[in-house]
Order: sequence, then C-alpha cells, then structure tokens
Amino acid sequence: MTRTSCPPAQDLLAYWLGELDAAAELRLDEHLLACAACSERLRAVVDLGAAIRRETLRGDFSFVTSAALIRRMKETGVRVREYSLEPGGSVSCTVTPDDDFVVAYLRAPLRDVRRLDLVIDDATAGTLHVSDVAFDPAADGLIMVPSTSYLRTLGHNQQRVKLVAVEGGDERVIADYTFNHYPS
Amino acid sequence: MISLEAAKPYAPRMSLPVSDVDDDAALARRIIDCAPERDAAAEAAICRRLGPRIRLYGRKHLRDEAAAGDLMQDVLVMLLQKLRQGGIRDPEQVVSFVFGTARRMVVDRRRGDRRRGRILEAFPVDLMPAEEEAPEPLDTERLKHCLAVLPDRERAVLVMTFYDDRPADAVAVELGLSAGNVRVIRHRGLERLRGCMTAPGGAI
Repeated sequence: MTRTSCPPAQDLLAYWLGELDAAAELRLDEHLLACAACSERLRAVVDLGAAIRRETLRGDFSFVTSAALIRRMKETGVRVREYSLEPGGSVSCTVTPDDDFVVAYLRAPLRDVRRLDLVIDDATAGTLHVSDVAFDPAADGLIMVPSTSYLRTLGHNQQRVKLVAVEGGDERVIADYTFNHYPS
Repeated sequence: MISLEAAKPYAPRMSLPVSDVDDDAALARRIIDCAPERDAAAEAAICRRLGPRIRLYGRKHLRDEAAAGDLMQDVLVMLLQKLRQGGIRDPEQVVSFVFGTARRMVVDRRRGDRRRGRILEAFPVDLMPAEEEAPEPLDTERLKHCLAVLPDRERAVLVMTFYDDRPADAVAVELGLSAGNVRVIRHRGLERLRGCMTAPGGAI
C-alpha cells in the first residue's frame, strides 16, 4: 500500500471495527502509522462515530433498535424506563428527570414480515409514517426508542402507533398500541 | 500531544526551522546527524507528525483514550532516545521502529505490564504534555438534524454500530440481517450523513 492509495472510508471503518483478518489488519496498522493522510482520514471516520454515539446518548432523535443494545446501555449505567405492550395494548407513560431513555417494546408476531412500516399518530406532533424500519423477524416484536428530548416537552399527550406489514403494494396492520403520556 | 518545549536544564543547543515538506525519514536523519547535540525543532516536528498516528493506533488497539495518550508518549520517548543514541541507523526505518515499538507496548499493556514508570525513569525526558491539535469540531446541531432525517434502517444500523463500536456481524445478528447487508446499509448511511452534513440546509 502506498501513500497515494489510501483505502476507502468503508475499509478504514472495517479496520476500526475489527472486521479485517489478522494479516490485513497488520498491513493497515503499519500503513496508517506511515501515512498521515490515511490516518487523518481514519480519525475523521472515528470522530464521526463518536459524535453519533454522543448524539444518541443525548436522546434528541428517535430510533428502533435491538434488545441487546438496550441491555448493553443499561450495563454501562444508562437509565432506561421501559414499557412493554401487547398488540392492542395501551399504557400510561412518562419520562422523569432521572431517565436517559424511554423504551417501548411493541410485542407482535413478525416472523413472516418482509418489510415493516411504523405509523405514529401523535396528538401533538401529527402523523408520521416511518418506512422500512429495521427489525429482526425472529424477535417477538419491535423496540422503539422515542426522542427523550421530545418527550420532555410534552404535557398530557396521546400517541397511537401501528405496525404495518408491507408486501408488494399491500399494507396490513399487524398491531396497534396506545401511549398515554403524562408529565412527571 | 507531546510538546517538545525543552525544560531549562536540557535546553537544546541547536534549533533549525522545519519545513512542512520534511517527511518522517528526513526529520529522523536530522536528529541522527545532530547527535550528540539536539535538533529540538526536528524532534518537535517528528513528534507532531507521528504523535496523532500513534495515538490513533493506541485507540484502536487499547480502546482507551488515556491509555492511547500514554502509549503515544512512551513510543515517542523511545523513538527520540533511539535516534539520539544512534540506535536507528537508517532513517527510512523510523516508521518500522515506531510500529514495532507500539505493537510491543500494546501487547505488554494487555498483559498488564507496568514497565512504563521504569521507561520514563531510565530516560528522563524533558517533554511536557500539551494540548493535541484539536480537529475541527463537528456541527452537533447539524449532526442531530441529519441523524433524525436519515432513513430509519440506516439510523438504526449507525446507532447500533457506533454506540459501542460493534462490527457488522454482531449488528447483523441483532437485526436478523446478513453481515454484508449491514455493511451496505452502514456505508450508505454514512455517505448520506456526510452528504447531509455538508449540504446547504442539511438536505438528505
């Protein structure tokens, strides 16, 4: 590898995340110590990743995720308020100053679902259609992490969430859930 | 970052300006050729050039910012010692020396070796810790916006990747996807994020 052939950003990220085999990692270790440009490029990738982590922890945006990530968050001291709902279920919910995240476990059979959309009907913010969310068909539902910052702005509010399976042009509601938010 | 501002008792007797085009080997040659006198400017420059790379190597292999900073300092101390004492005859080998030393120190640290104190005692250095050149800060408001408007699947993969630096195969298991698919989504998400960060108005 020469100084003029810096690997593309995705290869640098693969290196950083430990996805390369030992020989390739060793080659890149040495190249990065020799090449300031590549090293700087890697640092930019790593810094962006660190910034994504910081922004995630601030709770300023919503995301869906895995039970494993929520477990790891809790293991590292992140304080999580959890609500688990069966299809058709409703819950009174809130966020307190002590909570870093509020997590909703939306139980639903997803085994045969290929594409899953979320339709969120929020009495304050209006309706939001989230297309093609990430989910594990083998899991028994979807894990949604709403923006903590947004929740903190709410007074009493109702949010209805629908899980919609999309197959070809057809949409099928799998389950819906109701969150009755109250301020803490 | 290491500052090569010399403490008074070790004030350098020789100091030449350093050109930006001097590369690692040229700087190493200057230090070697100057011995037993010191070329403080060349020493400072080689530390400025190599320090961030060594620190990044430490972050990768030690996953600890403080340990990476210690590694950088230890490797640079060893390097300057070798160069001043004629232990590196071929300046072209300077990066190989740095690589070998850093690698060995990482292995030692993983084994819980505590020789660091002895290294610093054996080679009393007149190097003082100083501020590392900070990279240009990211616009966090823009990043927040760009993350919020990313397609959900890409946002989920990026969060799961970077929350604790998970490789694609681990994220794939948690999302019921293939590792290849996660890499594609991750790459697409990062490209979109970078585009959004630089686009007028933060458009995706």
